[in-house]
Amino acid sequence: MKNFQQNLKTLEAADTQVLGVSMDSWFSNKAFADQIGVTFPLLSDWGGKMTREYGIYKDEYQAPRRVNFLIGKDGKIMEEQVDKDAIDPTKIVDVCQRPKLKN
Amino acid sequence: MQIRRSGVLAAGLLALSMSAASPLFAQSEKAAPGMPKVGDVAPDFTLKYFDGNERKDVKLSDYRGKKNVVLAFFVFAFTGG
Repeated sequence: MKNFQQNLKTLEAADTQVLGVSMDSWFSNKAFADQIGVTFPLLSDWGGKMTREYGIYKDEYQAPRRVNFLIGKDGKIMEEQVDKDAIDPTKIVDVCQRPKLKN
Repeated sequence: MQIRRSGVLAAGLLALSMSAASPLFAQSEKAAPGMPKVGDVAPDFTLKYFDGNERKDVKLSDYRGKKNVVLAFFVFAFTGG
C-alpha cells in the first residue's frame, strides 16, 4: 500500500483512483491506513463476497491474495498483477500515464 | 505453384496464430482460474471505508467514464506490501 501512496500524486494526475481492498473490518483498515500514512480509501470486503467474485480468495489465508487490478474508464480490466508481482506499482503507473487513457 | 503458395500461406497463418496466442498463455499461468481476465469488464461492487468522520460507500461503476481505478488487494491490515 505504501508503494501506491508514494506514487499517488502521479496516479491522480493520470485520472486514476487508488482503492485498497481487504477482508478486514473498516475500522481496522482505517487504523492501518493511519499507521502507514495511506490517504486513499482502504475498502472493507467484510465476509469476502467481492474477493470471491474477483476469484482471489485464498482458503489457506482465509483472505485475498495479493493482487492489483487496473480498471480503465470503460470498466474493463487493463492490467493484472499477482502475488509478488503486485508489490511494485511501476508498471501500473506507466500504463496510467499512457496518453490514450486521458481520453 | 498454386499448391505451394497456399502452403506458405498456411504456415504464415499458423505462425501468426501462435505468436498471437502466446501472451494469453503467459497470462493464464499467472492468473487464478476464477479471476477475471484482462479485457473483461470488472465485476461491480459497493464496499465501505471509514474516512475519519463517517463510513462511506464506494461503488466501482461510479468511476465509469471518469477515472481509471486501481484495486490493490492486500492480505491483512498491519502487514507489509
